[in-house]
Amino acid sequence: MEKKYGVYICKGCGIGEGINVEKLANNVKGMVCKTHDILCSPEGINLIKEDMKNEGVNAITIAACSPRVKTEEFDFPGALIERVNLREFVVWSHEPNNEETQSLAEDYLLMGIEKIKKGDLPEPNILQDLSSTILVIGGGVSGMNAAIEAANAGYKVVLVEKEAQLGGFANRLYKKIPTGEYFNKPLIVDTDIDKLIKEVESHPDIKVYKSSKIEKTEGQPGLYDVTVSTNGGSETIKIGAIVLATGWKPYDATKLDYLGYGKSQNVVTNIEFEEIAKKGNGKILRPSDGKEAKKVAFIQCAGQRDSNHLPYCSSMCCATSLKQARYVRQNNKDAVAMVLYKDIRTPGRLELYYKEAQNDPGVMLTKAEVKGVSDAGNGNLFVEAENTLLGEKIKLEADMVVLATGMIPTTREPQEYLDGLALAGTKGDEAKAKYIEETPKPEFILNLSYRQGPEIPSLEGAYGFADSNFICFPYETRRTGIYAAGGVRRPMDMSEAQDDAAGAAFKAIQCIDHVSRGVAVHPRAWDITFPDPLLIRCTSCKRCTEECPFGAIDEDEKGTPFYKINRCRRCGTCMGACPERIVSFKDYSVDIIGSMIKTIESPDEETIRIIALVCENDAYPALDTAALQRKKIDSSVRFIPLRCLGGMNLVWIADALSRGLDGVLLLGCKFGENYQCHFVKGSELANYRFGKVGETLNKLQLEAERVQLMQVAIAEYDKLPDMINEYVERVKEIGPNPFKGF
Amino acid sequence: MAEQVISPDLKFVEDVIASGGGDLKKCYQCATCTVVCNVTPDNKPFPRKEMIYAQWGMKDKLISNPDIWLCHQCSDCTAYCPRGAKPGEVLGAVRKLAIQHYSPTPLSKMVGDPKYLLILFAIPVLLFLSYIVPKGYLDVSAIPRGEDGGIVYSKFMPVFPQIDVTFGAAAFFAAVCFVLGIKRYWTDMSSGVGAQGNIADSIKTTISEILAHKRFEKCNVTKDRKIAHLLVFYAFVGLAITTTWAIVYLYGFHYDSPYPLYDPLKLLGNASALALLYGITLVTGNRLKNAEKAGKGSYFDWLFITVIYAIVVTGILSELLRLANIATLAYPTYFAHLVFVFFLFAYAPFSKMAHMVYRATAMVFARHTNRES
Repeated sequence: MEKKYGVYICKGCGIGEGINVEKLANNVKGMVCKTHDILCSPEGINLIKEDMKNEGVNAITIAACSPRVKTEEFDFPGALIERVNLREFVVWSHEPNNEETQSLAEDYLLMGIEKIKKGDLPEPNILQDLSSTILVIGGGVSGMNAAIEAANAGYKVVLVEKEAQLGGFANRLYKKIPTGEYFNKPLIVDTDIDKLIKEVESHPDIKVYKSSKIEKTEGQPGLYDVTVSTNGGSETIKIGAIVLATGWKPYDATKLDYLGYGKSQNVVTNIEFEEIAKKGNGKILRPSDGKEAKKVAFIQCAGQRDSNHLPYCSSMCCATSLKQARYVRQNNKDAVAMVLYKDIRTPGRLELYYKEAQNDPGVMLTKAEVKGVSDAGNGNLFVEAENTLLGEKIKLEADMVVLATGMIPTTREPQEYLDGLALAGTKGDEAKAKYIEETPKPEFILNLSYRQGPEIPSLEGAYGFADSNFICFPYETRRTGIYAAGGVRRPMDMSEAQDDAAGAAFKAIQCIDHVSRGVAVHPRAWDITFPDPLLIRCTSCKRCTEECPFGAIDEDEKGTPFYKINRCRRCGTCMGACPERIVSFKDYSVDIIGSMIKTIESPDEETIRIIALVCENDAYPALDTAALQRKKIDSSVRFIPLRCLGGMNLVWIADALSRGLDGVLLLGCKFGENYQCHFVKGSELANYRFGKVGETLNKLQLEAERVQLMQVAIAEYDKLPDMINEYVERVKEIGPNPFKGF
Repeated sequence: MAEQVISPDLKFVEDVIASGGGDLKKCYQCATCTVVCNVTPDNKPFPRKEMIYAQWGMKDKLISNPDIWLCHQCSDCTAYCPRGAKPGEVLGAVRKLAIQHYSPTPLSKMVGDPKYLLILFAIPVLLFLSYIVPKGYLDVSAIPRGEDGGIVYSKFMPVFPQIDVTFGAAAFFAAVCFVLGIKRYWTDMSSGVGAQGNIADSIKTTISEILAHKRFEKCNVTKDRKIAHLLVFYAFVGLAITTTWAIVYLYGFHYDSPYPLYDPLKLLGNASALALLYGITLVTGNRLKNAEKAGKGSYFDWLFITVIYAIVVTGILSELLRLANIATLAYPTYFAHLVFVFFLFAYAPFSKMAHMVYRATAMVFARHTNRES
């Protein structure tokens, strides 16, 4: 691309008052450079557009506000754009009209211009033979709804169910909780699951595989090859994106013998109670003697919110027990349902359901810590409880006891197995072999061909659920192109699962759409750049393949890496990992950042200059927010954003220090896979590499304290300026870099 | 605390709901009611625990509990209840069921149920008719007049034996029922609770408290009730003195009614009647005004208020019509007055009138057992 440069400096929002804009503009030589009072105004935008039209300007440096704002205004398709953050990083966070502030603005502008000189307009990398078929795994309420949503949006859907029929748990229910208004409406309604099954099975764009399993999932978004084993044979299908809706299993009630399960036939789980109601067509005939149950005790949180069993709340059991209380009451006006709860948790709309269900005179509720269930003779049971609202200790007699047991995601067993395998692997091959031999292998779900393992990875605090920890992107998993919906993602009820299914289906569609245009799937959902290694210089060291958090890089037989680019999230971790520095993006490379650093020079031997490499997702917005609150930062620091600190290459530190800069600060996000970063562990990898910076410093005979890595969360904007200023003070104490001026 | 075996009484729950506690089941035990209540003792406060006892049909825990009477139905709880469970109304319903429980006749059910209202009125109507029909007094002109030709009610319905024996018997019946009821109540309350101090002191303090109506001052939402209830209370005291005084006149001095308007007895009687009329009007007004916050009240409450209204209105009218010498209206009005007075007294142990006895007893008990100090 033949570049024609244009530099546009805004004077608005205090920039004109804080620095000498004319002096700044005069520094720009050999290119169009204009200033404007309010660059984001229609007149300002027009100024740039006119230059594009008349002068052919196509490489635009906009020195105004943070690149995180005014993105719609400063969008000029077909042109390369670089935003220089004069507002937040200069005038809002520094003393106005001061030599150092002016110097800061000059340096930022120089860096911006350098970046645009080095960068290039990207072309998207669109792979061939992409599939737009969506695979839905699991044919329960979530899976079927996801299939219908995707198919109705115009996509072909393949639905794989391991049972012989669709429906999942809903098949086992007698009635369900209605949706919508509860006031003066029936509190139990038919599940209508047959209608949903029929809709799925008769949909022309949904192909259903029953009694089938996923044998293998290979490839990448848009190009998955999924092998389905079905009817004794197997079939490989081209798939674009995957919705994981494999649901949950009830908690193993045999572990709840203190609640009488297994000791009395009349102690049943909530699922078994549904089956009893279904079998009796609403009549509750207790298992031991077939007598109609007229006094039923419901024990909530049975093995839930309990560190010995499930530590979490399954969210659906309270409403389910209130529904089942209605089963008890509907045929018998003298029957009572006694509900013993830790807390009634009926989130959202279900609060109204609770209110309505509670109004029945025969539904009695109390908070209680259930201590045990014992035999009361004749098949009846005593439930003993403490800390109740009725008094300290109570004992009640019931015909039947229902345990509200919780949900375990289907992903949990494979995760536990694989985590155990990984742990055994760290103890050596023998331990690993022993583990494989002795541990029963659970049923796998995805069987991914993926270097980080065949299933959705476990996360601390997710308790086996296929959750990503990405608070803003609930359906994403840690595997690009695979979206979780329903009970496998987090505990939820049927109506929530229905909404969840739509969400996950739309994420799958977004994924298919983005790969068809060569755009990153997420989180950089606008980005058409991609890592493009100069492979002739590759030494096959495998660092990139090992460090890529998304398994986007594999090696061929010769050990040369190759990208499954549709898995890539464009974080640049491979760029930071590569010792040969051969991985580059069109607008982001070791050379581009290195060149930006090289533009910074100390004006004299006494003045401190520090470079800060800043995570774009946490630290950068935190700095913007601090600036918005006019918090002051030492003017010796120049911030350079990185897509992820995982892209940090050690050569930048070596370059900066050997050229006389006084310090390098690295601002990354919190370590650990459980942090909600989309790039999973870039910051931690940067820290790992950073461990080796000592060698560089030793070679240069410089103090280790000059380089520091800090973990900053986006919410820590209030502390960040002080953290930075304290660091600067320490560098100042050490004194100027002796390499200055060399 | 010992382990208690819970046996929910669904019938009792349904009774509370039917007796004015219609919103009982809405309670979710947040205890806002107990927090806002200014009348409850700090230790094991009400009405939170009463709400769950009622929800679980734990009749025994409720009706033998002095707390249900320590509640003066300020309705602060009802006003602040986030779920609209109306604890004040629920406790009112529980008190009604307690009155019924301790009154050992079938009348107790009848007074609380509008179905039986006609029968309850039929009893005094037929009784009084049986006095006057044989004498042909249905024809007003047949009723003998006084010496000056004015209306003399004692010539229509003789003081003795008709009035005094009837009301004497009614009062005796009511007293017996009260004594039996209170005895059972006291026994139930005392089981397992140790009494402390001097019972006479407890009674003395309770009476002085009732006379001063101190409890009512603690209410917020229904603050105005103090004046209204105080007027009604002292009007009844005044009327009781008037009645006693009349007995003294009649049997002590053989001084027959009607008495002249300047007679101190008449002055006291008329002043009490006016106070009662004003008081009961305030009661009604307050209830209507506070209905949204405090609840509409039950049949049981309104029956009681209506009967008092009817007594005071027919009483005042009887006097005015007598003085105006309008015989055709005066005698039927007086007849109605007698019927209402009978209703109030004979049914007192089963109606809301009983609250004065049970509440006073509960207050004495609470003091005596250090539930209240």
